[in-house]
Amino acid sequence: MEINKYMKRNVVSIPETSTIREAASVFVKNHVGLLPVVDNNAKPIGVIGLRELLTLELPDFIRFIGDLDFVHDFGAVETTRPPAKVLDQSVKSLMKPAFTVSEDSGLLRTYALMLQHNLHDMPVVSKDGKLVGVASRVDIGTAILSTWAKVA
Amino acid sequence: MNIPAGISSVVFLASLALIFSEKINRSIVAIAGAVIMVGMGKILHFYSEKAALEAVDFNTLGLLLGMMILVAMLEPTGFFEYLAVLAARASKGKPVRLFILLGSITTVLSMFLDNVTTVVLIAPVTILISEILGVSALPYLVAEALLSNTGGVATLVGDPPNVLIGSAAGLSFNDFLVHSLPIVAFTWAGALVLLLHLFKKELSKQPRNTEAVMKLDPAETLNQPGTARRILIVLGTAMILFFVHDLLDISPSFVALESAAFALLWVRPNFQDVLKKVEWSVLIFFTALFVMVGGLESAGVFESMVGLLERVAHVPPVWFGVSVIWIVALLSAVVDNVPITIAFIPVIQGLGESGMDIAPLWWALAFGAGFGGNGTIIGSTANIIVTALSEKTRTPITAPLWNKRGLPVMLLTCTIASIMYIILYSTF
Repeated sequence: MEINKYMKRNVVSIPETSTIREAASVFVKNHVGLLPVVDNNAKPIGVIGLRELLTLELPDFIRFIGDLDFVHDFGAVETTRPPAKVLDQSVKSLMKPAFTVSEDSGLLRTYALMLQHNLHDMPVVSKDGKLVGVASRVDIGTAILSTWAKVA
Repeated sequence: MNIPAGISSVVFLASLALIFSEKINRSIVAIAGAVIMVGMGKILHFYSEKAALEAVDFNTLGLLLGMMILVAMLEPTGFFEYLAVLAARASKGKPVRLFILLGSITTVLSMFLDNVTTVVLIAPVTILISEILGVSALPYLVAEALLSNTGGVATLVGDPPNVLIGSAAGLSFNDFLVHSLPIVAFTWAGALVLLLHLFKKELSKQPRNTEAVMKLDPAETLNQPGTARRILIVLGTAMILFFVHDLLDISPSFVALESAAFALLWVRPNFQDVLKKVEWSVLIFFTALFVMVGGLESAGVFESMVGLLERVAHVPPVWFGVSVIWIVALLSAVVDNVPITIAFIPVIQGLGESGMDIAPLWWALAFGAGFGGNGTIIGSTANIIVTALSEKTRTPITAPLWNKRGLPVMLLTCTIASIMYIILYSTF
């Protein structure tokens, strides 16, 4: 079983020239959790997740206070938006390195790589390195489990 | 100057320079310096291992260790966060009121406990409170460091230089309350007024949300209320014993160690965890500095320095004291005040042996070492800590900011201390 049969093919990606603000609107429009960032040749040069964008909104104190139970209301933090200066920066400033698999990779191998790199989605590339799809943990996991029904 | 005096001075000054450069951990430099000092002493016959051991002031080490153990046990109970949250609620989110309350709590805590621990524990909650209010944390953080540096000078246990001075000069806890506290109280008030003025613009900005602060629950910050109560009882008893330690003929270090032993027996915490929080590198740094300064003393460095100082000693003693305040303050602003204090102690003792009335000079040394730390971003450990913490936030404290807000506080505190020193010690 190879990954190219189980991945999402209609993959949304953003060009490396995008700003953080543009990336945010692509997330909103497509309701996805991860966006591959691609260069002119459609090769993934990195990925950006919802998590990276949301970090911009999180207050500083959550890094210093271990137990937040006593804070019942985040107050002004709830209505604090990142400054325009930050939103107009290139996505490259928040981008993470792209761990990719090639489309002929086995399902279990892909799943193991995702576990190791702690990813929920992984860009899939063709032989020449171009982005052809995104494999999600749920897609791969259910594909593997579906074979169990045939176990005699 | 003879050869041993020259060699030992080179070892000491080179170690100080390395500590100042911050290229190598200061305790590592100090250990190496101490070993070289003893080694040179043995070769040139001016210092021995026995003399080095005798140079270590175990009274200082015991007092620091005892207080460190108590604080290490109080830290995980959430008591510091509890006080900060109480302050936030009492301020009702009004910036000036919050500024005064947080500054005062940090000061009072650092008068009795280690400044560094106090700031380490209060600063994160300060960032939390200012973020949910929607105001900048910078004024509060800078004020906490400056006011705790200033307030710590008031008591024997408030500041490591005071512990050193108290031990060397045989000053009791009450001596500090009588001689240092009144001057510090004025100085502290002056510093607070100046800070309120310097941060006027930031503090006049209305918070965007004041209701969230009232929803902070202090009770939920106390994760071990029972333990906190026990340690506070022990600390309270220790304070009473500090008041009467000279009447009972026990040393402050005995009070601290006895309190630590009692608290450990009563709470029985995981001792490994407590030991991990004790700042061994500080204790080692002190020990190694004692050994190095002992070497200088054995080599006769201080005698020759006192000889030089005696020539200037015809200046009236009051002005001599004022110059000690400023010289020590300027040095403490750029170098750690602990080595400065340890190096000045034998000089003052030498002046005393040559017949000068040195009682007021101890206070000059304490004021200089304490207030000098306000001057620069690296002047005191509390400054370094709030800066390091703020560097992990979106609005870091920078050296230019400190020069604008901290340096004036240093100049003002030293000026007030000098004026009061002149008034008090020229009339008695």
